Amino acid sequence: MNTSDNHAFVNQLLVYTLVMICLSGSIGLGTVWMRHQISVTANSTRQMESRISQAERSLAETTIQVAAEESLEVLTRRNSEWKLGLLPPVESQVGRLAGSPERRLAALRNREAFTDRSGAETAPVVFASGSRVRR
Amino acid sequence: MARGFGSNYRIVLLVATILAAFGGIGARLVHLHVIDRERLVTFVDKVRRQIVVEPARRGDILDGRGKFLATSRSLITLGVDPQMLRPEDEPKWPELARLIGLPLRELETIFRTKTRPVTPAAASKAGELVIDLDGEGTSGATPAERKIQWAKLSDAVDESVYEQIVRLDIKGVYAPPRVYTRAYPNNELAAHVVGYVNKEGMAVQGVERWADFYLRGQDGWRESEKDGKRQELAQFRAREVAPSRGYDVMLSIDSVIQHRVEAELSRIMTTFSPTKATIIVSDARTGFILGLANSPTFNLNAYGSVSGEDMNRMRNVAVADVLEPGSTFKIVAASGALQEGLVQPGDTFDCTLERIEYKGRSRDLPREDHHFHHPLTVTEIISRSSNKGAAQLGMLLQEKRLYEYAKAFGFGEYTGFSSLYPESPGIFAHYSKWSGSDITRIPMGHTVAATPLQIHFAMGVIASGGELLRPQIVKEIRNEQGEALYRFGKMVRRRVISQATAKTVAGMLSRVTIAGEGTAAEAAIPGYEIAAKTGTSQKIVDGKYSSQHHIASFVGFFPASRPEVVISVIVDDGRSPAGGTGYGGVVAAPGFKRIAEHLIQYLDIKPTGPVPGRPLFALERIRP
Repeated sequence: MNTSDNHAFVNQLLVYTLVMICLSGSIGLGTVWMRHQISVTANSTRQMESRISQAERSLAETTIQVAAEESLEVLTRRNSEWKLGLLPPVESQVGRLAGSPERRLAALRNREAFTDRSGAETAPVVFASGSRVRR
Repeated sequence: MARGFGSNYRIVLLVATILAAFGGIGARLVHLHVIDRERLVTFVDKVRRQIVVEPARRGDILDGRGKFLATSRSLITLGVDPQMLRPEDEPKWPELARLIGLPLRELETIFRTKTRPVTPAAASKAGELVIDLDGEGTSGATPAERKIQWAKLSDAVDESVYEQIVRLDIKGVYAPPRVYTRAYPNNELAAHVVGYVNKEGMAVQGVERWADFYLRGQDGWRESEKDGKRQELAQFRAREVAPSRGYDVMLSIDSVIQHRVEAELSRIMTTFSPTKATIIVSDARTGFILGLANSPTFNLNAYGSVSGEDMNRMRNVAVADVLEPGSTFKIVAASGALQEGLVQPGDTFDCTLERIEYKGRSRDLPREDHHFHHPLTVTEIISRSSNKGAAQLGMLLQEKRLYEYAKAFGFGEYTGFSSLYPESPGIFAHYSKWSGSDITRIPMGHTVAATPLQIHFAMGVIASGGELLRPQIVKEIRNEQGEALYRFGKMVRRRVISQATAKTVAGMLSRVTIAGEGTAAEAAIPGYEIAAKTGTSQKIVDGKYSSQHHIASFVGFFPASRPEVVISVIVDDGRSPAGGTGYGGVVAAPGFKRIAEHLIQYLDIKPTGPVPGRPLFALERIRP
């Protein structure tokens, strides 16, 4: 291509212009694509945040329902409705052990392990019904 | 290739056109971005920019074992845009009506009403928010119809119901952003302690108010843009500050003890029909409140339904109301006289005297509810609750020291228990303003007014070994992960009496529940030493002490030799079912006993003596 020729110069200008337009267009399209991707990503992030919030709200809702079902008012009502007959213990039902219960149970177990006698030595339980006594 | 793509003329024309086009575009851009910039930016900002506030979740209030007393939930306000409704969705309307609990007819009316008159009065009467997006405004005097674009269906839809509504897929039915509201899973439990947050989000009373600083958290916000459908354009988020959740507040209240206390109050209200009653349970060693309840009370989830004339039920009587402590005040005169070495427990006083000379003047001694045939020891003055004996102990102390001891026991001053607003300091005049008879009346708890909490913590002085403790209800401040950020501990306000004196007084108080010796054998629990004091004060009706209306109290602690819990039962104007006077021993002591029996098992309080009766079960090879 002869650069001193006017036509050649114009041709060259046209080529460069077209290249510039293509380049600018590509950059423009690239920018648009990039912005679109940013938008898609941002919306996806927003949706994810929304889902997390929704999960947190559902969790809070469930927590409240559980707390309400665990409230003593409801438990007392259930005890009555389901005829469970659960009552708090009274002192006469409680056998208090002096010292550590773990040590006591361990001592009991060890005594059994080292004794020659087989079988547990238990006091017979007597059930009394009217005048009859059953053993 | 010498001639290129065309003639000179054509090429020049093409280039000129392209350049002109670029020039035009450039000129337009300069006009938009430089010359007309301000106006356009203002317009865009106005239309597209938005600042979205993200409300912080309020922290939870937990009991001493981590159970929820107050928490936050998101409630949805459901609305409809009648313009967007589709005919094909009409079969789903009955299901929607069922889900939100609205009569179908009412729902149909809302759905079919597409316009309404512009007058603001009409809109407010219907209780609905009308947003005019079309700009067909209210300008002009002529009444016009306006399109309804948002009509409220329900303002209390929970998440699970909303999910079902979304699944129905009715176009036009939608919800604006959610807001957090307060939920109280236990309804009435510890209502006066927990307090509540009103619909405006303002903490009104109780711990909600006191701990608002910790609970409320900090709202977040973000600056972004919205499109024509008012949807946020997330890609244009400029600045964003995340909300920070409020801290959790853990109380010393134990739900199980609180429930027991409230059940006992309910029983007292049913049996004795008092105007009000209060029960307080606290840890004798630390001053932490384990249970505090008043009756009547209210449901925290329905505080709005309490009518104007019934507002008194929202008062925390335990800290806001004052009453004459009556005989429970006798511990002040007895402790003071013992501490000063003026008397010994075995010293006797003639409690049959009608008058006595004091500072050169003859003074009337107060009447007794019981007649005593022999001189009473100091121990008997307490156990048998002698008014004349208490008056003589007060006279031994004299005005100044009696006043100082009463103040030291916490009467006439705030307990520092700011957690439960509002608190009354009680009424206790300076001794320089006392009348001539006050020295005989104050030792028996007359002409003094105190809150139930003050009376409770005065007894706590004996239980703690002579120290006045500060009542406390908040145990910990926690973050979202459950880590303790701050722990509240025992706070001693002052030492009132020595440990030895406290022990002596505790011993005297333990005689109160012994049959034949004290005024409240009803409160005795086999195997346990109960140190307590009955109180029965006459109420002032029309300016005079009434013989018909009484405030009965029973305040004490146990076991007397190693106190673990302090319990106060105070009943205002209770009527004995048998028709007699509602004495503290009759009205309040049985409640004390039932709560104490429950606490023995629940807190595993060991007996101090042999418990009659054998256990009803046997363990293998373990014989008692």
